[in-house]
Amino acid sequence: MTKNSEKVPRKHKRRVFRRDRIEPVPAGPLELDPFQVKAIDSLLAGFDVLVAAPTGTGKTLIAEKLLEQVMSSGKSAVYTSPIKALSNQKYRDFVAEYGKEKVGLITGDLSINEGASLLVMTTEIFRNWCFANPEMLEHTTHVIFDEVHFLDDPERGTAWEESIIFAPSHMRIVGLSATVPNVLEIANWIADIRERPVKVIVEKNRAVPLELNWVSVEGELLFEDEAREYIKERNERRKGRWMEPELAGVAGDFEKRGRK
Amino acid sequence: MVKTGGKPSASEVVYSIQDNLPALYFAFGRGKTELLAEELSREWDFLLPGEKNKVEQAIRDAEAQNSGLFGNRRHNLRQILIQGIAYHHAGMSPALKDLVERLYESRLIYVLFCTETFAVGVNFPAASTVFDSCRKWDGREFRGLLNREFFQMAGRAGRRGFDPVGRVYVRIDDRFPEQTGFYSEDEVEPVRGRLTISPNTVLSLLYWKTDEEINRFLEQNLAAYQNNKESRRIKTELAAMEEKFTGLGGCFCEDIFQPSCFLLRTKLKKELHTLSNRRRRGRPGARDRRDEIRAILKITQKKCQHHLCVDARKKQDIFTEKKTRLSRRLKMLDRHSRDFELEFNNMWDLLEELDYVGGRELQPRGLFALYLHVQELLVTELVFNGYIRDKTPQEVVAILSGVDYIPGRDEQVEPGLINLEPVDELRKQLLKKGVPENFCVWSHLPGSLSSAWYDGASFEELLARCSLQEGDIFSMLRRTIDLLRQIERAAGEDVELRQQMEHIRFRLDRDEVAIMGV
Repeated sequence: MTKNSEKVPRKHKRRVFRRDRIEPVPAGPLELDPFQVKAIDSLLAGFDVLVAAPTGTGKTLIAEKLLEQVMSSGKSAVYTSPIKALSNQKYRDFVAEYGKEKVGLITGDLSINEGASLLVMTTEIFRNWCFANPEMLEHTTHVIFDEVHFLDDPERGTAWEESIIFAPSHMRIVGLSATVPNVLEIANWIADIRERPVKVIVEKNRAVPLELNWVSVEGELLFEDEAREYIKERNERRKGRWMEPELAGVAGDFEKRGRK
Repeated sequence: MVKTGGKPSASEVVYSIQDNLPALYFAFGRGKTELLAEELSREWDFLLPGEKNKVEQAIRDAEAQNSGLFGNRRHNLRQILIQGIAYHHAGMSPALKDLVERLYESRLIYVLFCTETFAVGVNFPAASTVFDSCRKWDGREFRGLLNREFFQMAGRAGRRGFDPVGRVYVRIDDRFPEQTGFYSEDEVEPVRGRLTISPNTVLSLLYWKTDEEINRFLEQNLAAYQNNKESRRIKTELAAMEEKFTGLGGCFCEDIFQPSCFLLRTKLKKELHTLSNRRRRGRPGARDRRDEIRAILKITQKKCQHHLCVDARKKQDIFTEKKTRLSRRLKMLDRHSRDFELEFNNMWDLLEELDYVGGRELQPRGLFALYLHVQELLVTELVFNGYIRDKTPQEVVAILSGVDYIPGRDEQVEPGLINLEPVDELRKQLLKKGVPENFCVWSHLPGSLSSAWYDGASFEELLARCSLQEGDIFSMLRRTIDLLRQIERAAGEDVELRQQMEHIRFRLDRDEVAIMGV
């Protein structure tokens, strides 16, 4: 197939061969994983908790279990997320769960129901509250930082840091993080600055393991060692191109000129 | 047109992975996602007739709510959605992104070309993820993805309770095979403290916190904590090394470096060899030194188990080298340990000079900037120098929408009638007074768009006037609304200013720019 013929639309488009599709298992009441149980127990026992687990392993579920308890005991909580769009999404989820009057959303350009017992905020707004109106957080027992590894973000990390340092001292901190190698160090830092122990829960395994493949220029699927080998070969062939018969003369001339 | 890069094309990659769809196909660049989606749509169609009807219906429903949903620019997307293909990036309007997300969740999209933002937060799992390339533009340079970034995206592969494994595919680019990324979850980068000290941080600390709290903040923030920890670790290591170093002394005899010592003799032999070198031979003193060495070597060597002291000597050398390296690192850490204090004091000095604070007391400007979180110095100066009060709403909007706006490479906007040059003048004055550039970020570019929006122009009209994408105009106006709210709060008792801002804000927060569904 030449490059040009690819540009012409095919008369009949390619289709995927479909087996009888299995419908995904409904996400109903899943059994809790041990790390989730451990995290929830520590939270309900009143600890500050830092959870590090890969994406998609159900960190949010931990936060939801905590929120259930906080809300039913008539206290308040704050949920911070790194991105505005995500805050809006979370707000919608929580409204569906707890009803409109119990949930608020504050993102800077938007402010709904500021007095609600569950507030979804951007981290920046929470940081501002910690400075300017801590009295608004008097009855708030927990702050949940989703994606707390954003601490490492060169532009926005400061908001997370100032929030953790200046959150009113009665508030418990819940950090949900992607897998990072120094969770313990971060936890120790939080424990130091908040003068309170922090429970660390780490889950290394993914709910669904990943399999990495590389796709060669010919469209073949390669494993890592095959891919490395393949790239090495290609690089060599590329350098070797100078030695192809029709080019060898040119390369020779070039070298001669170079030597002068 | 941009070239899509070498083979394999998206079409061929999809052919190879067709048993593992739906796929999230990550590309770095908005244009790239569109291009790849279109390319794939020329060859592939994933939907059965019944599914196509569902998609058509969803599109019609969305269009009923928002007539300009696809506008002039996104007709292509409407077509390819019906083939089970889509793209998703920050340049699209929220309504359109929402439609794509909903179709994806209903499993009516088989291949979704998307940028990194799709991977943060909301969980959209797929059977597989594909990386068109492993390099991204991070605002300053093209660089390879970090392990953390890679796995944040790759981890979307594998739907729980459905896929036995999540498949991740990295495309090897024909033209740049050497740029192919290799990643491991064991090598994810550690989180480092990144504290920066903004004017608002200094004002907030001075106004609301005690000296003790400020010191704690400067000395115990994450970066400082990590520095201290490393310092302590190095110090212990150095001490342990020192001990071992002296311990090795026990391996030497009392004759060390005497003429009969093997260590000295080896060293001298080496020196002799260098001195015999043709170049050195003629140097003044070389001849005498050679004779001297020969004389020493004539003395009989002590009979001893010299491998013991040779080994010890070698070990000592290694220690010395390691020690220099660690000491250098320690010195650097020591130097940086006062960075935050310095940064804080510098900012405090600047604020004092600009009359935001006097000593520890906040002045009117400082009290105002206390409630601003974007370009607080520039905005305060705009307000206090009469750029906002008594100006027409159109002017105010034009000025404020440019705050913190950094135009993209090829962004063009039809200029408006409002003269924004005075703002540039003010910026220049501030820079001259020593305000760092990153605290005076402003652009005239969005001014004509935001003032037209204030005047009631339609979203399509705005699009027709510029090269900005829907999503860019949307977030520019949302950011302006955010800033207006901040000024309202900062205005406090100044009812007039507050009402002025409120009035503008209400006019901006409408139609396509309003947030849906909340």
